[in-house]
Amino acid sequence: MLDALRFEWTRLTTLRSTYWLIGIGLLCSLAIPVIAGIAVSDDPLIPETVAAGLNGGAAFGIPFLAVFMAIIGIFATGHEYRHGTIQPTLTALPQRSRLIASKILVVSAVTVAVTVFSMALNALAMLVFWGEVPGLFEDPLRSALLGYVVYTLIYTLAGLGLGLLFRGVPSALVVIFLAPLIIENLIFGLSFLPMADWLVPVVKFLPFSSGARLMSLNLMEMSGEGMPDFDYFGRWGSGGVFAVFAALIIAAAWILFKKRDA
Amino acid sequence: MITAKGLYKRYRKTVAVNQLSFDVRPGVVTGFLGPNGSGKSTTMRLMLGLDHGEGETLFDGESFTDIRRPMNKVGTLLEAKPFHPTRSARNHLRMLASANGVGDKRVDEVMDLVGLGSVKRKKPKGYSLGMAQRLGLAQALLGDPGILLLDEPTNGLDPHGIHWMRDMLKHLAAEGRTIFVSSHLLSEMQLMADELVVIGRGTMIFNGDVDQFVRDFTQSTVIVRSPSADGFVSALEGAGAEVAKGKDGELVVSGMEMGAVGHLAFTENVELSELSTRSASLEEAFMSATGSSEEFVAAEPLAGGANPAAATSPAAPATKTGGADNA
Repeated sequence: MLDALRFEWTRLTTLRSTYWLIGIGLLCSLAIPVIAGIAVSDDPLIPETVAAGLNGGAAFGIPFLAVFMAIIGIFATGHEYRHGTIQPTLTALPQRSRLIASKILVVSAVTVAVTVFSMALNALAMLVFWGEVPGLFEDPLRSALLGYVVYTLIYTLAGLGLGLLFRGVPSALVVIFLAPLIIENLIFGLSFLPMADWLVPVVKFLPFSSGARLMSLNLMEMSGEGMPDFDYFGRWGSGGVFAVFAALIIAAAWILFKKRDA
Repeated sequence: MITAKGLYKRYRKTVAVNQLSFDVRPGVVTGFLGPNGSGKSTTMRLMLGLDHGEGETLFDGESFTDIRRPMNKVGTLLEAKPFHPTRSARNHLRMLASANGVGDKRVDEVMDLVGLGSVKRKKPKGYSLGMAQRLGLAQALLGDPGILLLDEPTNGLDPHGIHWMRDMLKHLAAEGRTIFVSSHLLSEMQLMADELVVIGRGTMIFNGDVDQFVRDFTQSTVIVRSPSADGFVSALEGAGAEVAKGKDGELVVSGMEMGAVGHLAFTENVELSELSTRSASLEEAFMSATGSSEEFVAAEPLAGGANPAAATSPAAPATKTGGADNA
């Protein structure tokens, strides 16, 4: 297994795209606390501002870092087919399960490290503008920040699974962007219509929307007067929905990878 | 030593590889011949576990997927340009080497060995096909393996490169390694290979040494020149030979050994000015063996310029088999 991990680490670190994707993700994420600092640094910090600043706006539906890390996840498997490197890869490392496990482990480790680094960088930026970053280790902020790390990790692994499932990059990119932006928003919106109220129980199982609740400070904000009762799961239950979604994709891709010709 | 047993692969209704069994011995170059679409690449992919099918291939007694660090035992070159375009050639090899416990020093060694030392830090997207083939060979040699499996390694190489590849493979075989190399360049195979595995439409046609292949798949002919050739024809035909008129009045005799023709001339009191055997080339033998098993056959150009370039399938594959080790 160590050989497989060394292989995947070398593969990841010898690709230029790894660096520019991480770089752009970090910069986009950093832009949120910097812009907020320039615009409203005179206002006192509230937990919502701290959360949004540290996760780079991910809690408000713009998970920059998660998206760029998910592209790295897609590239981890999709590039092998796009550029035909799956053949030399499997002649260097023919144990297919070991190969996939190593990809998951290395990409996960890099994702967690980059996400934590991004939060530290953003915290530094907030410190510059506000002079403090209060409540970091108190709930619900602590759980929301931990949820951000988990969210980014699951998002990345979903990308990795889709790249392997579709054996390419474009289809995986389309799914990972279309699903949360269009399909889930469409279902959520339609569920407000009386004629489509049968969609209401479905909403809490929408994977990307559920995953976003991992980062939420106020878990009740999606409920209220005049809104359908979506009967959402809690933070970690919603995260579980997202995790199961990613796990199903990876499991299907893994089984097919073992069965299919390379 | 490579031992392949009962290799079989089907794509829906098409049988791509049909119960192929053969051995590839160490110390010699074994050529893997077949027309386009005959299943050579699929066979190699089956041997390496890249494609799923039936049968078993053992490399010194081990299945490829069971070998812990396979590049140290089996070196492979399957596709011309399986490289990420923005990863340098050296890093491509470092990546594969890292899965097999091979150090960076060896990476630099093989890059120098194949003549790419000066461009090892460049990206392979700028490589010519010939350079990519050299990089592929460097990849195959990374773990200094005892077995090499190469699919069309001379594709894209210039004459100098082909000469270099031939010498390299013969040298590696002379070191006792097992070399299994496919090619459609028959003239190259004639110079390079000691033994042959020939397939057509996924079916074994021949497995044995090159000379035997030529003997088995070509009818040797005897060339006769004589001032009284016309009169000798009836005597030859009477003895059961087939006789055709060649250029400049020569008689091309088949179905009769040269010694028998000479004896017949002696008993018939026929003066001979030439009596010789014409040996067929490997190419002629190959065409004879695989002629009816080509997967895609282009139409013959028509007189007047029209050429319907329709691909047609032959009616039946070649079934003639030969060779001592054909299983």
